[in-house]
Amino acid sequence: MLIFALRRLNLLFFTLLMLTIVSFSLSYFFPGEAINNISGQINPSVEELAALNELYQMDKSIIHQYFAYVGQLLSGNFGISMANQTAISADLRHYLPSTIELCLAALFIAMVIGIPLGFLAAIYHNKPADKAILVFAMVGYSIPVFWLSLIFILVFSINLSWFPTSGQLNLLFEIKQVTGFKFVDILLSDSPYKYLAFKDALMHLVLPAFAVATAPTTLFIRLARTSMLEVLESNFIKAAKAKGLSKAKIILHHGVRNSLVHIIRQMGLHFANLVTVAMIAEVIFEWQGAGSWLIDSIFHRDYTAIQGGLIALAIFTFTINILFDFIYAAINPLERHKKHGA
Amino acid sequence: MARETTYLEEEFPSPMKQLWITFNKTPMAVLGLSCYLFLVILAIFGQFITPHSALEVGDALLTPPAWNDDGNLNYLLGTDDFGRDMLSRLVHGTSLTFGLSFLVVIFALIIGVVIGSFSALTRGIKASFLTHFLDVILSIPSLLLAIIIVAILGPGLENILWAIALVSIPQFVHVTRIAVKEEQKKAYVLIPILDGASEIRVLITSIFPNIIDKIIIQATLAQSAAILDIAALGFLGLGAPFPMPEWGSMLANSLDLFYIAPWTTYFPGLAILFTVVVTNLVGEGLRHSLKIQKDS
Amino acid sequence: MKYKARLIKIIIPFYLALTTLAACGPTPADTIFTKGLIYCSEGSPSSFNPQLITDGTTTDATTQQLYNRLINFDNDNLERIPGLAKSWHVTRNGKMITFYLRKDVSFHQTDYFTPTRKMNADDVIFSFNRLIDPTDPFYQVVDGNFPFFKSINFAELVDEIEKIDDYTVRFKISHPDSTFLSNLATPFAVILSKEYSEQLMAADTLQNIDNLPIGTGPFKFKEYRNNAIIRYSKHPEYWRQDVAIEQLIFNITPNKTNRLTKLFTHECDVISYPIAQQEIRSRDDLMIDEVTAFNVAFFAFNTQVAPFDNPSVRKAIAHAINKEAIIKSVYYGQAEAADSMLPRLSWAYSNKISSIPYSIKMAKQLLADAGLGDGFSFDIWAPSVQRSYNPNSLKMAKLIKADLAEVGIDANIISYEWTTFLRKIEKGEHQSVLIGWNADHPDPDNFFSPLLSCSAMATGRNRAFWCNQQFDQLLAKSLLTNDLTERFNFYHAAQQILVDQVPLIPIAHSKRSLAKLKNVKGDILPPFGGVSFENVHKVDGSKM
Repeated sequence: MLIFALRRLNLLFFTLLMLTIVSFSLSYFFPGEAINNISGQINPSVEELAALNELYQMDKSIIHQYFAYVGQLLSGNFGISMANQTAISADLRHYLPSTIELCLAALFIAMVIGIPLGFLAAIYHNKPADKAILVFAMVGYSIPVFWLSLIFILVFSINLSWFPTSGQLNLLFEIKQVTGFKFVDILLSDSPYKYLAFKDALMHLVLPAFAVATAPTTLFIRLARTSMLEVLESNFIKAAKAKGLSKAKIILHHGVRNSLVHIIRQMGLHFANLVTVAMIAEVIFEWQGAGSWLIDSIFHRDYTAIQGGLIALAIFTFTINILFDFIYAAINPLERHKKHGA
Repeated sequence: MARETTYLEEEFPSPMKQLWITFNKTPMAVLGLSCYLFLVILAIFGQFITPHSALEVGDALLTPPAWNDDGNLNYLLGTDDFGRDMLSRLVHGTSLTFGLSFLVVIFALIIGVVIGSFSALTRGIKASFLTHFLDVILSIPSLLLAIIIVAILGPGLENILWAIALVSIPQFVHVTRIAVKEEQKKAYVLIPILDGASEIRVLITSIFPNIIDKIIIQATLAQSAAILDIAALGFLGLGAPFPMPEWGSMLANSLDLFYIAPWTTYFPGLAILFTVVVTNLVGEGLRHSLKIQKDS
Repeated sequence: MKYKARLIKIIIPFYLALTTLAACGPTPADTIFTKGLIYCSEGSPSSFNPQLITDGTTTDATTQQLYNRLINFDNDNLERIPGLAKSWHVTRNGKMITFYLRKDVSFHQTDYFTPTRKMNADDVIFSFNRLIDPTDPFYQVVDGNFPFFKSINFAELVDEIEKIDDYTVRFKISHPDSTFLSNLATPFAVILSKEYSEQLMAADTLQNIDNLPIGTGPFKFKEYRNNAIIRYSKHPEYWRQDVAIEQLIFNITPNKTNRLTKLFTHECDVISYPIAQQEIRSRDDLMIDEVTAFNVAFFAFNTQVAPFDNPSVRKAIAHAINKEAIIKSVYYGQAEAADSMLPRLSWAYSNKISSIPYSIKMAKQLLADAGLGDGFSFDIWAPSVQRSYNPNSLKMAKLIKADLAEVGIDANIISYEWTTFLRKIEKGEHQSVLIGWNADHPDPDNFFSPLLSCSAMATGRNRAFWCNQQFDQLLAKSLLTNDLTERFNFYHAAQQILVDQVPLIPIAHSKRSLAKLKNVKGDILPPFGGVSFENVHKVDGSKM
């Protein structure tokens, strides 16, 4: 397990190295002066400029500059926004938790709906239920999320008035920001309307989370279906059948567990897609998250914010990836041993 | 290819031919393919057969679709707020959203397969570096990456095409690399190697024919993703400029009319959905046939 | 079975938690939803101090909510009524104006400032000295950038501001100006706290006077997040009345479809600049408030070039334009046809002035008299951008073109990008132009001097390049007196000259509207000065 963990951490280190190199080189790729892009100071005075050059070691070689940049990142200095001159790190602290909340909620929904549906499809392989689920998966996988979101709003908010369409919480609830995670903040707050606010926040979460979850759900359906089919056709299941176990028992005892292992192995890879979808949904549902913030930054040509957003979102997806790797290793001892041998 | 016939008793159809035979037996896949070909034809010839101009401003503003009471048969799917015929715009848009995604994928495929095969031949530190590099790139959300590239290049249709092509390449590299490595382990590859063929020769003559199906399947996946990405960037206002009937930007421009002229929102969305479904049907059909082939 | 049991163990508490939440019921909700109001506005304010800006979005968000002015405009007849000044007195020569202040006005108490005294003369003097005294540190902190006051030459006009006693202030001005009082009633002339400024001086955070506002208005500042939300809360010691709304939220929603969606779903109580008004009217729970705003869209001729140097030709065209059709298709009814530069609400508006009716016959007659019976061709310049007084100038130009074709005139429509457009018409390169004007304040002078005086010809603001000495004298005379009847007569005569000479054709006064839930009661839209939530309350009926 230790060596496995070390390998993963090595990968994490490598990723961070790559990311920071990419992000650092962006300051040179973006239009304008690198020092302005990297610090976010648009019109620094002569003294400020000198201080910035000193801070980022702009007069030294590119390698020095890179290490100076990484040093600043590590000390939490992501520069300031070129659009409104606020600290990027503060913006990220504000926006990133909302994105994490939305992504995790969507992931949860996708798993809860997708995996059982996939299993069902596998169990009723080639029967009408299977076909229906496959059609649903195909459409859900193909539908553009921005269009789906609009349809959701039209049907569930405007026609049925079930759910609100924008933001994370009715603005009349005044919840002090502590962690940035709305649900946690609500529970931590001493507002008299705490539970009402919690319920309201849940209602706000429903539409965006389902819109984001649609595409991953279909992925889970496919994954669950394929892996369950594979498991059901494997020899040990045949042996179990030969022993005379009932079909339900075989599926519950052997099928589910073994195919879950397969699914979790794949899950990490697809998380990047989910984050992509979430970015667009955030724009439509006015979700105050890192995705909509990043897209706004592009319109404002706020290069410092783009760099910060890239690093934050990529680290987030990568952390989740590694997390799934660990879960996979934990439930599948085979993997750990293989790594031992390698 | 069946070049090494000397070693075999009977002749097998090539993998692509086999694939086609099984593919032909799945009605959904064939339906998908016919629709796909229809879209290809529209993308090439569409702009010549449109009943009205897709770009010029017309007189009949916001005419509802023809089946509506106020509709007009001249404008089958109605008109937008500039009086432009929706049907003509959608047909014209096929060459932008669908046609360009096709070109983008071909481009990414060629580059990706070349890099992927060479990476499969390298070993040691270089290979490990490449794997890690790919892992990193694949862990960054593709749209995010595309957006970053657009931020560097500036908005515009051409720039988003470069961005999407660049984003699709790593997936081809990944698929090719894994497929080549898998094939390399198989026994049949040993034979030409024992005959003294170079690695590259083995790759081209023995391995490629056996992995091309996987690459095509990846291509359909990449195309459906590319269509969605072109449309998404268009929707976010980073893609095709104003008068161009790119479906995503048509949808974005129609948002202001959502409550007055909902058809301007519905149709571009349906067009995107239809195209992506068709592309996926083809891909799914291929995958399905491949699986049947493997099983038999 | 084991799995199922485990699953149930997870699901049941989750379910219970959900249902208990749902069962909490709306009892405490009543207050938070009925005492709070969400206004979805179209943009972020550029400052929290209206002294620094001229744009409507910022005045909407700040003036009426956070501040008061010495003088206000009455909502019904637009006459000047007391604000922070109980009364005022103008000396006979018009050069000394004395204000008698209220004694019961308190400033906001917030996290960052606690007032120790009521508003007095020092605050008024501080607020205006900041605008005119280059040595004032609060003048320097913004480099004296007070655009509205600059445009009216406020610094040159005011010689001195004098404290008579704690509640009496006297302005000495260099020459009589009957718009002076109106200018003090504009949304820009707000009263700030001197005590707060001293606190900021001590802390050396001068710029906070414009970012963390302290005023005397019905609401006080609580929170602002760029491009997202402004949170105000009720000012409990507000001098004028008890405010019903305890929390006022500006939810910044630049996308007009999103604003409408949020109104439909009751996420906004009130929205600015609604689109799809038919759809709103068709719903039982929504309504539209509208007022005629102080603006005018007009069609100006370049009177320096032929054939528009001939008043009869101009008049002929005025006869040929069907204003009602324009109101219908360009404004979708959200405007009233203009028969004068002045909107009907202005006190100087008079229906006794002869107007130019829509008549093809008279137009043809006049053209024939001018020797142009066979028609001629000319260019109409129209901007391609949307203006508050004209949602679609190009469409309007097309309609006018069609009207003129009836009388044998052939018009070409020409358009440039907005800044180029303005630069070119200021040089007088146009033959005729469709443009308009948003008034700074309701004094009638604001509709004439900046647009049609000879001095405005020099700056190019006079789009007709029309200079009439008699007309200019009438305007000047009117500024020298404060007698309303006298002024009315001067403006009456001036407007009659416009009808005879037709340097431009006033086309429409567009309405300003907002849409709201029906349970939001009280006036939000005063005809002048943005939006105000002071008199608003919500009745129970439709909760979230």
